[in-house]
Amino acid sequence: MRVIIFTWEYPPRIVGQLAEYTSNLSTQLVKKNVETYLVTYHPYLTGLTEEPNGVKIARVANPVRTHIGVLTWVLTLNQEVERAAANIYYQAGKQIDVIDVYDWHFVPAATTLKNALGIPFVYSVDSLEDHRSPGASSPFNMGIKSIEWLGFYEAAAVTVKSEWMRDEVIRIYKVPKEKIQLVLPSSKTWVDDVLKVYAQASGGAGKP
Amino acid sequence: MKRQLSVMFLTWEFPPRVIGGISPHVLYLSKSLAKNGVKVHVVTCDFPGAPDRETLDGVEVYRVDSYKNPAPDFATWVYLMNLNMQKEAAAIASKLEQKVDVFHAHDWLVATAGIGLKHVFRKPLLVTMHSTEIGRRDGIHTSTERMIAETEAWLTYEAWKVICCSQYMVSHVKWAFGLPDDKLVMVPNGVDQQVYENVRKQDDLKGFRTAFALPEEKLVLFVGRLVYEKGAHVLINAIPKILEKVNAKFVIVGSGYMKDQLSNIVRSMGLEHKVLFTGFMDEASLLKLQCCADVSVVPSLFEPFGIVALEAMAAKSPVVVSDTGGLGEIVEHDVTGVKVYSNNVESLAWGITKVLLDEKYRNTLRENAYRRIQERYSWDRIAQQTEKIYEGVLGEYSKSFWA
Repeated sequence: MRVIIFTWEYPPRIVGQLAEYTSNLSTQLVKKNVETYLVTYHPYLTGLTEEPNGVKIARVANPVRTHIGVLTWVLTLNQEVERAAANIYYQAGKQIDVIDVYDWHFVPAATTLKNALGIPFVYSVDSLEDHRSPGASSPFNMGIKSIEWLGFYEAAAVTVKSEWMRDEVIRIYKVPKEKIQLVLPSSKTWVDDVLKVYAQASGGAGKP
Repeated sequence: MKRQLSVMFLTWEFPPRVIGGISPHVLYLSKSLAKNGVKVHVVTCDFPGAPDRETLDGVEVYRVDSYKNPAPDFATWVYLMNLNMQKEAAAIASKLEQKVDVFHAHDWLVATAGIGLKHVFRKPLLVTMHSTEIGRRDGIHTSTERMIAETEAWLTYEAWKVICCSQYMVSHVKWAFGLPDDKLVMVPNGVDQQVYENVRKQDDLKGFRTAFALPEEKLVLFVGRLVYEKGAHVLINAIPKILEKVNAKFVIVGSGYMKDQLSNIVRSMGLEHKVLFTGFMDEASLLKLQCCADVSVVPSLFEPFGIVALEAMAAKSPVVVSDTGGLGEIVEHDVTGVKVYSNNVESLAWGITKVLLDEKYRNTLRENAYRRIQERYSWDRIAQQTEKIYEGVLGEYSKSFWA
């Protein structure tokens, strides 16, 4: 199985919990013989490298340096994510089983890649705009929420890390329960649970 | 037989959605390309009442969700709209039996969609730069303007070729983004003469004219947004000098943030009976008015191309234009029109007066201008030039590792 993980933070660039989580997950995936790529942002450490843990990482910078908000920053960074992912896709003989996108930042890229090249994606929810900015419904917040919605709509499957989050996704975005998979990082079967979601999302293709 | 070329246009405006000059440009270019056997797919923003999908004179038109939630500001809306456009265009392009050979973006307003599509499909991207942020704003003053200028730079960086519609814009874009010469190519804007022929043939222009000017008044026409760079204030300041020599009515068509300011100046000059602000005008009336004008004035301070001068020439109205940007290239002084100094009231008054006082001169300008339009600015010719650029790019592309 060949997988690309999209995350806006990854060591050495650590913003919140996602960097450590995706680092852990990608290391474990490699151990399970999954060919694991990861696309992330870094202001200057750009290009494709293979880390000691066996994960192949493409870091991209934002071609537009001046911004008026996180929305414009994200929406100009996504094309570089697409470029990096497309390069992986074409170099791998046009065969990527699934993209796993963490939070809303790179949902636009995952959506375009799905529609253009038919690569299915899993939307993995770490947090939601409704919880980060409770009660906020300004056009700015709605812009972010509309991208979260797009992720739920276009994703082949959704993963959450708690039952509470599963209920919140259902409550806020009216996502069908069957589309959401619980993957508990504390569980012994965590990586296998994730792989099960990947296999399901990619239509059962590419057994690990 | 040669394989049919397939192009996907990305544009934020396409009729009936008309905001500026890109909309008619893309309409005529796509129709003319289609007539010449090129398959053209136009992906554009939706518009109330317009169908999501239609075939227009051989052009495949797709209108996509333009992001209708309230947006924090215009620039952020543009990027959000691009997200939808890119997603929809990707779905359209992936389902086409005949694959898209070239993506062609019009201005930064579709930059991110164009760049993304280029990379996921690995096809060449071309861009027509109709204008630049640094030109529109006469410099970069805010973060928003800088962000847009950097987006424009990125778009021209990603494009295989950058098309500009005048030599002025070629050198401006080259300077603004530091582009190499061989990346830039000039293809002028065009004008559809047939439209004006039909107006002249069919309509009662004399009767129509009476709604705007008295029979003894010459009709001086300004068409453009009432914003600083279009220079309507220069024309208004020249009016007293013109009226000393010739009886005329000044008709100002268009709207913009300077409208109140301009009508206040006219009132303070005591010239309300000589100046008519019509506001935005429907296309059919505008065509007739352009055919009625004794002189069409384009006093712009900044003008990448100056399509309104071409339209006047096609309408057989003599033109007086300021010698700036692309305008200066369209008009040959004393041959196809009169050129005056930019932002110079005296010079503008001189030019307009000269044209209005001499009927023979007016007729000569009219005929020369019309001939020039036929030779250089027909859409058919422009479509052929554009197709040649596509073929050149595809020739280079075929030798690249993307092919």
